[in-house]
Amino acid sequence: MAIYSFWIFDRHCNCIFDREWTLKSNQSSGTTNSKQNEDTAKLLYGMIFSLRSISQKLSGEGSHNEIRTISTGKYRAHILCTASGLWFVLLSDLKQEDLSHVLRYLYSEIYVKTVVHNWFSPVDFAESDSEKRGQGVRKIRNRSFLANVERFLGPMVN
Amino acid sequence: MSANSANISASSAGSKKSLKTFSDDIWKNKTAKINAELFTLTYGSIVSQLCTDFERDFKKVNSHLSAMGYNIGVRLIEDFLARTALPRCDSFTQTSEVISKCAFKIFLNVTPQVGNWSSSKDTFSLFLDENPLSDFVELPMDAVKELWYSNILCGVLKGALEMVQMDCDVWFVSDVLRGDQNTEMRVKLNRIMKEEIPAGED
Repeated sequence: MAIYSFWIFDRHCNCIFDREWTLKSNQSSGTTNSKQNEDTAKLLYGMIFSLRSISQKLSGEGSHNEIRTISTGKYRAHILCTASGLWFVLLSDLKQEDLSHVLRYLYSEIYVKTVVHNWFSPVDFAESDSEKRGQGVRKIRNRSFLANVERFLGPMVN
Repeated sequence: MSANSANISASSAGSKKSLKTFSDDIWKNKTAKINAELFTLTYGSIVSQLCTDFERDFKKVNSHLSAMGYNIGVRLIEDFLARTALPRCDSFTQTSEVISKCAFKIFLNVTPQVGNWSSSKDTFSLFLDENPLSDFVELPMDAVKELWYSNILCGVLKGALEMVQMDCDVWFVSDVLRGDQNTEMRVKLNRIMKEEIPAGED
């Protein structure tokens, strides 16, 4: 079982959480992979956004047709889109056919309990209009959220 | 467990009877219960404190309760969606059913009657036969004409609906606490908000 990375996008098209387990940080330059993740997040968002619009168009007017997984030659993307416009995305190896239960757990047991139920954490990460439509940079910082994600997904990484 | 609930909810959202069974199940199995009196008295202490803080300016108390509710609603919707895994509703009629049979059931264990639809089908009423917020309450004389005691509910609904892209107005038109025949809330859909798309995509 291998999970490569985990991403959350909010309804303002912003990546509010990213965790990549496969990239090693560059020791010599001392930088982490955050810049690279920023670009990857945009590409990943774009891929899901496009496929999601296409799949909804093809299924006809008025019917729900949420995208669940996208398979490529090297990895599979598992996607949970909530009615409130959040996207939870896991990238895994091809052996993982369906991680929807894992995504659901991340949403209902981790995100809701450590971010939403924590009144001192924002639930809307865009503080102004200029941070909407994919222009925002704020991330989930709650320690208990980060720790819970690590504890839950860590054992599945390899 | 959660994967199953997603399947059930997808098929049940259309049918009234199964929506009830579905909600009963969530109420029984996925909802932590608290003492009703603790809940009612906590809410009562908030309202009475607000009345003191705003020096019995009940219009201000109403709007403050609604604002507090709004902040609850934008969070509560995630809790609701996490528990029910419901998709977006196809129609406002379906929204009214989900609010009454599912949302009120799960969070307050009551099921208000839906009715009084406007001819354009964009406004409906919720009739609260039981209201757990207002048990034990008797409004003082100076508040009886102006205070909407349970106004927090209006804010909760407004906030929650906004998070699923529905811009709504929610208000009370009558309350048994004021001596009215029934307790009625109106919910009016102003518009369905457009989903944001990344900058540069349009």
